Amino acid sequence: MKGLTPLFLGIFGTFAFSWIALTVIPTWQIGHLNPESDEEGTEIYPRPQSGMFERGGHVYAANGCVYCHSQQVRADYAADDIERKWGNRRSAPRDYIFDRPVFLGKMRMGQDLANIGARAPAEEESPAPAGAASPAAQGAAASPAGAQKASPSSGSSPATAPGGSPRTLPAATSPPAVLQTSPVPPGQPIGGASPSPGQMASATPGSSPPAPSAQTPGAPWPIQTAGLPPMYSAAWHHVHLYSPRSINLDSNMPSYRFLYEKRRIAGERSADALQLSGPDAPPEGWEIVPTYDAKCLVAYLMALNQSHPLKEARLVGGAPAPAASPAPAVQGASPGPAAAGSPAAPKK
Amino acid sequence: MKEPAVSAAAGDTEQLERAYIDASTRVPVLMFYTSAIAWLILGTLLAGFVSWKLHSPDLLGNISFLTWGRVRPAHMNVMVYGWASMAGMGTAVWLMARLCRTMLRFPLLLVAGAAFWNVGVLIGVGAILLGDSTGFQWLEFPRYVAVILFIAYTLMASWAVLMFRHRRGDQIYITQWYLLGAFLWFPWLYAAGQLMLFVVPVQGVLQSAVGWWYANNLLFLWFGAIALGTAYYMIPKVIGRPVYSYHLATIGFWSYALFSSWTGMTRLVDGPFPAWMITASIAATILTMIPVATVGLNHHLTMKGYFPLLRYSPTLRFTVFGAMSYTVFSVIGVLISLRSIASYVNFTEASIAYSHLGLYAFFTMVIFGSMYYIVPRLVGREWRYGSLIKLHFWASAYGIGLMTLMLLAGGFLQGANLENPALPFSESIETVLPYLRGRSLAGILMTVSHFIFAYHFGLMLLGLGRTSTVPTFLNPVEAEISGGH
Repeated sequence: MKGLTPLFLGIFGTFAFSWIALTVIPTWQIGHLNPESDEEGTEIYPRPQSGMFERGGHVYAANGCVYCHSQQVRADYAADDIERKWGNRRSAPRDYIFDRPVFLGKMRMGQDLANIGARAPAEEESPAPAGAASPAAQGAAASPAGAQKASPSSGSSPATAPGGSPRTLPAATSPPAVLQTSPVPPGQPIGGASPSPGQMASATPGSSPPAPSAQTPGAPWPIQTAGLPPMYSAAWHHVHLYSPRSINLDSNMPSYRFLYEKRRIAGERSADALQLSGPDAPPEGWEIVPTYDAKCLVAYLMALNQSHPLKEARLVGGAPAPAASPAPAVQGASPGPAAAGSPAAPKK
Repeated sequence: MKEPAVSAAAGDTEQLERAYIDASTRVPVLMFYTSAIAWLILGTLLAGFVSWKLHSPDLLGNISFLTWGRVRPAHMNVMVYGWASMAGMGTAVWLMARLCRTMLRFPLLLVAGAAFWNVGVLIGVGAILLGDSTGFQWLEFPRYVAVILFIAYTLMASWAVLMFRHRRGDQIYITQWYLLGAFLWFPWLYAAGQLMLFVVPVQGVLQSAVGWWYANNLLFLWFGAIALGTAYYMIPKVIGRPVYSYHLATIGFWSYALFSSWTGMTRLVDGPFPAWMITASIAATILTMIPVATVGLNHHLTMKGYFPLLRYSPTLRFTVFGAMSYTVFSVIGVLISLRSIASYVNFTEASIAYSHLGLYAFFTMVIFGSMYYIVPRLVGREWRYGSLIKLHFWASAYGIGLMTLMLLAGGFLQGANLENPALPFSESIETVLPYLRGRSLAGILMTVSHFIFAYHFGLMLLGLGRTSTVPTFLNPVEAEISGGH
C-alpha cells in the first residue's frame, strides 16, 4: 500500500462508521425517552430515584455485584426469564432512563435482580403515598430506619402503595413467585410441610405483621427458615448480605460483612440490628448493624422493580390477574418449583 | 512487503543498520516489557484469587478490598491495561522503529509515556480495590485515572506519528497498517467511551451499549490489531520468506477493520434494545469470517513447507499458536453470538471463555512470541534455557486450552440449566462449580508458566543470558534448515 492518506482515511472511516451506527443512531432512536403516564396523567413510570438509591447504585458498582447479577428480563419468546418469575414482562429501554450507571449485567452467577424489589413482601406498615416520594426529600434522609421504610414504597414501586391504580400488578410479583425462584434453604422441603402460598397471596398489606423481627418466628411465609425475616424484605437482604450461607448453604455469594458494624448494645437493641442466629450471631450484649452504605445498597435493591406496565413491553399472559385471584393458591399446592401451569406465563 | 522479503541473506550493511535500530529501542521497549511482566505476575495472582473465591467464597471474604467483586475488576484491568496494553505497545514500538527503518527518535516521549501509564494503572487498580469502580466492564478506572492514561497515551501516540514522518521508503508494510490502526483507534475509542459514559452520559441502557461497544472494540481494534500486525511480521521473518499474498492481506485488513468494529452488540443479545442493533452485530460477527479466512489462509500458505520449524523456534511456535487461536476465537465468537445459542450462553461462563481466548490464547501468545524474538536483540544475549521456554509454552498452551474447555463446557451446561425453569436457579450454579474448580487448576498451570517466563526474562535483564551467535532453540537443531530464529 502506498501513501498514508488512503490508509488514514480508511482507518478513520471504518471507526466512524461503527461509532455512528452503534452509538449515535441508537442515541437518536432511544436516547431521549420520557417517563410514561396513563391517560389521567396520575401514574407516571418510571420516576426519578432517591438519593439513597443513587448511592446504593455506587455501592453496587464498587463491590462488583454486576459481575454476577444481571438486571434484565428477556422476552418470553427468547428465553425463560419470565417463566422463572424474574419479571412479568420483558425489560424495555424506558425502565432504565433514570439509572446511572446502568447494570444490565453479563453474568448470572446469581439471580437476576431486575425485579428484586417487586418480590418483597407487601408488609410496610405505613406506605408513603406515591406522590411523597420526592427524591430530594429521601435522598438526605439518613435515619436508621430509612432503608426499610423509605425504599420499597418509594416512587418506583407503586405496587406497594395502597389503593394503587387497577393496573398495578401484584399477581406476578406477589410472593408465590418467591416460591418458584428462590433457592431452597437447607432442611426445608419444597411444598411438603410449608404453608401454602395461598396464605401469602391473601396476605394483604393490612393484615401482615408490621415489621419482621426475631420476636415473630414462624411467620406464615413459605420457604421460610424460622427466625429469619420474610424473604426479600429489607431485613432479609441485610441478613443475606451479611451471611449468604446462613440462608442458603450452597450459595457461593461472598459475604459483605465489611458493610456492617459490630457494636455493643447501649440500652435498647437497635431497631435495625440484624436478626442473626447460629454461628453468625454476635455475642451476648453485642449487635450487628448496617452501615449507611449497606442501607443504601438495600434501598437500591428494594427499589429495583419493573413490574409496572409499559406500552411497548407487553405483559406476558395479557391482562393482569387480580390480586386476590385464587389461581396462585391452586398452583402453589403443586409440589416443587415446576412452573408448568403458571397462569401468568402460558407455555410458548 | 519489502522488509521481510529481505532475509538474513541480505548484505551486511542492512544487518548492521538493523542492529543499530534495535539498540536504539532498547531503553523504552525494555521499560514497557518489564512493567508489563510485573503487571502480568500481579494480574495472575489476582486471577488465581478470583478463581478460587468463586468456589470457596469465604476465603479472606471479610476484608473490603479483597472481596470478590473488587478483586475481579482489579484482575481484569491489570491484565488489560497493565499487561496486555504495555506488552503490546512495547512490541509495537520496536516494530515501528524497524519498519520505519529509522533509529528510534524522541525516546523520552516513550519513557515518560510508559511511566505515566504505570502510574495510571497503579492508581486505577488501587481505586478499584478501595471501592471507586465505575461498574463498566474494562472501564472501571475512575475518571481521574482516565485522564492520566490519556496523557500517557498522547505522549506515546505523538511519538508514533513523529516516527512515521521520519520513516524511510514509501512502502508501508502490512504490519504497519495494523499498528497505525491500533495507535489511532485506541485513543478514539477511549475518548468516545469516556465521553459517552462519564462526561456527557447517554441515557439508560445506551450506557451498556457504549460500554460493550468499547470493550469489544478494545479487544479487536487495539489488542487484535497489534497481535495480527505482529504475526504478519514475525512469521515471515522467522522462516525467511515473504508473506504469501499481499492482496489477501489487503482484503484481510480492511474487512477486519470494517466488520470486527461492529460486533460489540452481540453481548447484549435479547436485551432491552432495538433488535436491529443486535442483529447488525451478529451479521458483522458472521462476516468476520472473511478476515479470519483470508488472514488464516495467508499465514498458512506462508508457512507451508516450513511447519517443521515449529520444533525449533520459540517465536514461531508462540506466534503460530496465537494466530491459530485467532481462528478458534473468531469461530467461537460466531457460535455464541447466534441468537439460538446466545439465549443459552449469554449469561454464563462461556463469555468468560471467549474473552480469554481473545486476550490470552490469541493476543498474549503472539506477544510472548514477539518477546522471545525481540528481547535478545535488545540485551545482546540469547535466552538462557531452551527448556524453560518449552515449559513456558506448554504450561501456557495447556493452561489456556484447559481453561477454555472448562469454561465453555461449564458455561453451556450452566446455560442449559438456566433455561430450564423446572430446575431451581441454584442448580445452574451447582452444575458449573466443578468446572470452575477445573478452571482454577488450569489457572495454576498458567501461573507456573508466567513465573517461569518472568524468571527467564529477569535473567536476560540482568545480562545473564547466553553469549552466542546462535539463537536459543527449543530442541537441538538436527540439520541446518532453520535460517532464522
